[in-house]
Amino acid sequence: MAADTLPVLSGVLRDQRRSLAMWGLALAAVSAMYIGFYPAMGETSDIDAFVRNMPEGLVEAMGYDEMATPAGYLRSTVYGLLAPALLLVFAIGAGARLIAGQEEDGTLELELTSPVARTRLVFGRILALWVDVVILVAVVALATLALVTALDMELGADKILAAATGLLLLVLGFGTIALAVGAATGRRAYGLAVAAGLAVVAFMFDAIGPAIGVDWMTTVSPFSWYIEPNPLAEGVDPGGFALLAAVPVVAAVLGLLTFDRRDLMV
Amino acid sequence: MTEVVIRTDGLVKDYGDVRALAGLDLAVHRGEIFGFLGPNGAGKSTTIRVLLDLLRPTAGRAEVLGVAPRDGGAELRARIGYLPGELAMTGRKTSGELLAHMARLRGGQGGDRIATLAGRFGLDLDRPIRGLSKGNKQKVGVVQAFMHDPELLILDEPSSGLDPLLQREFLDLVTEARDRGATVFMSSHVLSEVQEIASRVAIIRSGEIVDVNDVRTLRNRAGQIVEMRFAERVTSERFTSLPNVEDVTVESWSENGTDGASLSCLLHGEPDALLKAAADYRVVHWSAQDRELEDLFLDFYRVPAAELVTEEVADGGR
Ligand SMILES: Nc1ncnc2c1ncn2[C@@H]1O[C@H](COP(=O)(O)OP(=O)(O)OP(=O)(O)O)[C@@H](O)[C@H]1O
Ligand SMILES: [Mg+2]
Repeated sequence: MAADTLPVLSGVLRDQRRSLAMWGLALAAVSAMYIGFYPAMGETSDIDAFVRNMPEGLVEAMGYDEMATPAGYLRSTVYGLLAPALLLVFAIGAGARLIAGQEEDGTLELELTSPVARTRLVFGRILALWVDVVILVAVVALATLALVTALDMELGADKILAAATGLLLLVLGFGTIALAVGAATGRRAYGLAVAAGLAVVAFMFDAIGPAIGVDWMTTVSPFSWYIEPNPLAEGVDPGGFALLAAVPVVAAVLGLLTFDRRDLMV
Repeated sequence: MTEVVIRTDGLVKDYGDVRALAGLDLAVHRGEIFGFLGPNGAGKSTTIRVLLDLLRPTAGRAEVLGVAPRDGGAELRARIGYLPGELAMTGRKTSGELLAHMARLRGGQGGDRIATLAGRFGLDLDRPIRGLSKGNKQKVGVVQAFMHDPELLILDEPSSGLDPLLQREFLDLVTEARDRGATVFMSSHVLSEVQEIASRVAIIRSGEIVDVNDVRTLRNRAGQIVEMRFAERVTSERFTSLPNVEDVTVESWSENGTDGASLSCLLHGEPDALLKAAADYRVVHWSAQDRELEDLFLDFYRVPAAELVTEEVADGGR
């Protein structure tokens, strides 16, 4: 890493430290709360009754048919829903703000006119976003590991690591898309809209595709690349994870190239 | 031969359909303080943003320290100190932290001068940026522009928000930089802000330079208002024909049985002829006041935009 990327990276991280700490606490709390609820599941038949009354397709789509196993339960609560949703809100928001938001409010001007190349400014910000996401996903994974161990649930650390890796790649992808669209257009709203729109479509395709028997929906959905088959049960799916990993890299390159070419309206 | 530090040739910049710069020609020499003056929306900030490679020219060319801003890149910007026209700073971090960050981006350059400069402007480095007043934010901007002792300073309306005392301090800082050999390019709406220190000024209107002059010539052109009282009657014809004298008015008066006259006129350049003519009479009072350059300036500003358009149409029709 070039020497001038480092101060950019550390500057962004310093600005974010408070909000990152809050997000970390919230994610740890939510993860722990849901996982901690697992032992109560076996004792009551409420969930069973609840699930039995739901349409079969939806039950499968949400993974509720596997709710009785730790892997199934974690998939349908924390890893398939809450953690991705919260992390995507964070990453897309931060991604759109880091270039486009700061360009719109003018706070990027001093860095842009300092002796740091434009590509380094973007690269430093991409790295900062990635570091943020790594930290937050690690929080979720560690909370999971702690609770799973404490509650003596049948779930291997390797499976947790696999799911966390998939989650990380998924969130990096959409966060970097938000940053790249912002870098290409200078509009925070475009970054937010494109990344959030794609994320919602990916989630819907993964949920609806199997229910209505349309295969291509899961083939193109990054959410399916992450969660089908369930990494908490099956471990890493190399094909899906490779596709997931390509998204942030491609988005990053496009963001770097487009930002270097256009007028900056700080 | 003087070295040209900033040069633009036929620089054009469009924002969509809006033509902000319409063929701007500019040459700033090494070691001078150059005032860049024009009304709101004239294109001052746009020009400056091209020089810093925030904007790319639509047509024409810009050169800073011998290279096009885009080709010069980060290395070129290392030699420039820039004060933005509208400095946006937010967040919890203190001004000291922000300035330390700017120094890190410059590879540590200037970090050791932060405290001195902040002290000079009475800037509290421990206060969070977001609570700072406009003037205090402007101080942060000034410190970060000057701290690494750059060879070229590009300042966009630098003294806006500073009180008169700090404006003076700021002007001192600029002249010190010039004395060390730096070149200073500063924009402003008003001549009075730069006339004391600038050697030359360019006047920009609607994206074009309408005049470039050294300040002495401008001042000369602005002239002096001379007023005299005589203890006897004088005729205005005696003065109207004098060289360097314009707008002569003579008023006669009588007071306590004495007749007298008051004369006022506009004097450009040498007062010799006027003084010699006045010496024919008994002068009881005399005053000569530099006409505000601002007045001259307003002459440039006032030319209505509609007139410019018709000029262009007429040109095109030929
Ligand atoms: N981002 C933009 N999009 C569209 N038009 C713009 C933009 N920025 C400036 N302009 C237009 O370009 C012209 C020149 O603006 P510029 O900001 O360079 O003027 P200025 O001389 O700096 O004015 P001021 O004294 O108010 O700072 C104006 O007509 C302005 O409306
Ligand atoms: Mg301006």
